[in-house]
Amino acid sequence: MKGSVIKYEQDNIDTDVILPGPYLKIHDYDELAKHAMEGLDKDFHKKVKPGDFIVAGRNFGCGSSREHAPIALSSSGIKAVLALSFARIFYRNAVDGAFLLPIEIDENVYKDISDGDSLEIDTAKNEIKNLTKNKTYKIKPFPDLIGKIIAAGGLFNYKP
Amino acid sequence: MAQTLFEKIWNSHVVDEQSGRWLLYIDRHLVHEVTSPQAFDGLRSNKRKVRRTDLTFATVDHNVPTSDRSLPIVDQTSAMQIMALEKNCKEFGIQLFDIHSPNQGIVHVIGPELGITLPGTTIVCGDSHTSTHGAFGSLAFGIGTSDVEHVLATQCIWMEKPKTFEIKIEGKRRNPHAVTAKDIILSIIKQIGTGGGVGTVIEYRGDTISELSMEQRMTICNMSIEAGARAGLIAPDEKTFQYLKGRKYVPKNYDEYVEYWCENLKTDSGAKFDKSFTIQTDEIVPQVSWGTNPAMTVDVTGRVPSPEEYARGNPDEEKAAAKALQYMELKPGISITDISIDRVFIGSCTNSRLEDLIEASKVVKGKKVSSKVRAMVVPGSQLVKKQAEELGLDKIFKDSGFEWRESGCSMCLGMNPDILASGERCASTSNRNFEGRQGFGGRTHLVSPVMAAAAAINGHFVDVQDLDLN
Repeated sequence: MKGSVIKYEQDNIDTDVILPGPYLKIHDYDELAKHAMEGLDKDFHKKVKPGDFIVAGRNFGCGSSREHAPIALSSSGIKAVLALSFARIFYRNAVDGAFLLPIEIDENVYKDISDGDSLEIDTAKNEIKNLTKNKTYKIKPFPDLIGKIIAAGGLFNYKP
Repeated sequence: MAQTLFEKIWNSHVVDEQSGRWLLYIDRHLVHEVTSPQAFDGLRSNKRKVRRTDLTFATVDHNVPTSDRSLPIVDQTSAMQIMALEKNCKEFGIQLFDIHSPNQGIVHVIGPELGITLPGTTIVCGDSHTSTHGAFGSLAFGIGTSDVEHVLATQCIWMEKPKTFEIKIEGKRRNPHAVTAKDIILSIIKQIGTGGGVGTVIEYRGDTISELSMEQRMTICNMSIEAGARAGLIAPDEKTFQYLKGRKYVPKNYDEYVEYWCENLKTDSGAKFDKSFTIQTDEIVPQVSWGTNPAMTVDVTGRVPSPEEYARGNPDEEKAAAKALQYMELKPGISITDISIDRVFIGSCTNSRLEDLIEASKVVKGKKVSSKVRAMVVPGSQLVKKQAEELGLDKIFKDSGFEWRESGCSMCLGMNPDILASGERCASTSNRNFEGRQGFGGRTHLVSPVMAAAAAINGHFVDVQDLDLN
């Protein structure tokens, strides 16, 4: 997976800013994509490109259980969110629906990656290459079951 | 080996366990119109049925207008989402409390009041505030739509085992009418932070908990998710059993259940928690949030902090606080009681039950809402509304200038007609003060029902400890 970084240097990016309440009535994924991150960054839908990654701080996706949040990000082209930590319901939704990869990174990786950096993520090798800065970061492998669900393409494709 | 309440409920629901994977049986599944449509679509396209229609209950709450129910719903997308749930429930054979049902209401209000919520059970709902049901000693998780589909199809959910977190709430409140359950939970979140409970199930314990009513316990458990916890739990006791007795869906041989619950639903002495935190309630005063997450909260007797004061040396927190102050249009150093408000919302799954309304009505009785303020009371369910009207609370609120509305989530989340206009400032009894939560550009201050009521009368926050609330 190769893409560029859209970085939000803040903690507690909640599901109400990722996909604001009024849009929870929308079922069309492309329509949801138009409103992704609208509560935080009105220009997000203009700058996001297919394959991009979001980098953010702690407790990403806190708040509501709305699956519309990872759906909106994924439909707008986001392939992975790299955050210091995730709120658990958001994490589950991202994995179960196979919308995007929630990847936990540590503090020095978080600091090192800049907005606009070009990254290549290799989950088989558990590493991220920062092509802009010519660096390689190690990431923790996904826990066993989560890795299997991701590999299967979501909860409903996963056969125990 | 000594076990916690969480471990006992968890262990009694494990269907399968393989290398870090637990499959848990779910006793009750609550469904609402927002997080379920795609789940039903998924069932249909895979030709699956709902496995246990008898354990699945649905209602409409997020989208429903809280105005006159005899009129059609103006917002077509809302109407479609509501109709979709009606159609899905009919097709799959699920009990629905629809918009005209005397049992309609916010899903976390009607579960307990109908006796669907029971001690020792596992409950899920496609809603993060499912943690509310933990007040009954029920292990209750919020889930997303994929998991909703999974539970509809299998009545099970896979989980990683959460850690256990003990929060001891001890001491005697100075004035239980002024310092409410909302102030206790806001104080806890203020101290442990919005990520303080991530990956854990919190058990609230201590002498203050025993003293709280069931409705107050629900307020505490409801906001567990605002500390990032998977669930909140309180061991059931005599109050729990009395509350549930005689309710519509409790089992017929109720007394036998009570016997079982008494014996089996307590943390054993000597059981170990992964984490522990203690809060003394005699030090707590009414709370008001000033920022854009529930941890950004301060005593009503205090002032809006500067980013430096709030952050205590953490640069990320300092930036977040500066951004929050800008959004909230507040200057550091001003007294909380000098903050003027435009709107008041008494409602939501946190604070819309009968006791909340009774307590708030004492503040407004015989007084008038400030001419600068638009204030509304939104009972959590049709049953709460009916009981409140039997007590004459509707008259008290209406006489003082409040709007008295139909039940639903209303202004908690900005997806029905009840929203803030950009720039409006609201004293709200809901649970989230995130940017735009109550409407784009709207500014939310989280408070208790008595604090909200007093703010409505005065047009700004006041310390309800100074009022006669008895």
